[in-house]
Amino acid sequence: MKKFVLAPVLTLASSFCAIAADEVAKAPPAAPFQQVSRLVKLPDFLPGIGQLFVDPATLPAGPFLAYGRDGRLVSTIYMLPTKDLNPDKSFDNLAAPDGNVDHVDVYYNAGHPGVEEPHVHVVLWHVAAASEASVAK
Amino acid sequence: MTVARRDVLSLGGGLVAAVSLSRRDVRAEEVVEIRMKGRADGSQVWFDPIGVLIKPGQMVRWINYNPGNSHTTTAYHPANFGKPLRIPEAAKSWDSDYLLPEESFSNTFTEQGVYDYLCIPHEHAGMVGRIIVGEPEPHGGWMELVAASRGVPDEALKAFPMVEEIMAKRIVRRV
Repeated sequence: MKKFVLAPVLTLASSFCAIAADEVAKAPPAAPFQQVSRLVKLPDFLPGIGQLFVDPATLPAGPFLAYGRDGRLVSTIYMLPTKDLNPDKSFDNLAAPDGNVDHVDVYYNAGHPGVEEPHVHVVLWHVAAASEASVAK
Repeated sequence: MTVARRDVLSLGGGLVAAVSLSRRDVRAEEVVEIRMKGRADGSQVWFDPIGVLIKPGQMVRWINYNPGNSHTTTAYHPANFGKPLRIPEAAKSWDSDYLLPEESFSNTFTEQGVYDYLCIPHEHAGMVGRIIVGEPEPHGGWMELVAASRGVPDEALKAFPMVEEIMAKRIVRRV
């Protein structure tokens, strides 16, 4: 019986991911994503990151979608508060709208409006390392 | 009385004679500039300088020089999100709200004493500063501030420069 139930669920999930990937490829991504600089007071374009969008319901972890000046998705970022990296907390099933990951960066961030506590950026780059320069400034 | 003002920088002119903080002799009519700075990857943020000695009536201007982040200069005062009082009781509180890159905020200090302030989104990262208003006393008349610290994160408490160091050097930068 479970197989019959799971099959349509998996099918739904797969098609959702496919639609999601298509909808996030170019800025602006579809709702419920919103431009971070319109939610909190941050520069519209963040050097080293790009133009950020997030579904506010997923804060603080995200995913945050980062776009280059040409409007193309360059990375998906998760922001994990360092105080939550402990035995009693976990971040499970974080959405990954675009599965095409070239490489991953992980680094500490002191905080910013929206995630106002020290946290870790886990960056799934959808472009090659050499192309990160496209969002450097 | 404390006078606060929020500005957007007009780069290339218009700034009143901002003080070169390498100078030891700070005159009351000069504006002291404190820069809000940060690493490009956001891993570190700070006020530069973190501690200054000024004279009564002198203005301080904070400017956000961090292209990838927003900052505030916010007095430790119950009026600001219930923060503990760490400025003179007779002094008026201030809060710049978020300053985007190249924006600035000014405040004039008239009451003598020790003023502690923070950056709202970065208090937990130790982005705090201290301003002392008053004449230097040669024999250590100032004692280290005994102020309320309830709710102030350890990172912030550790970051405050010592009153004695500010009195001795007038300008203290982050190590």
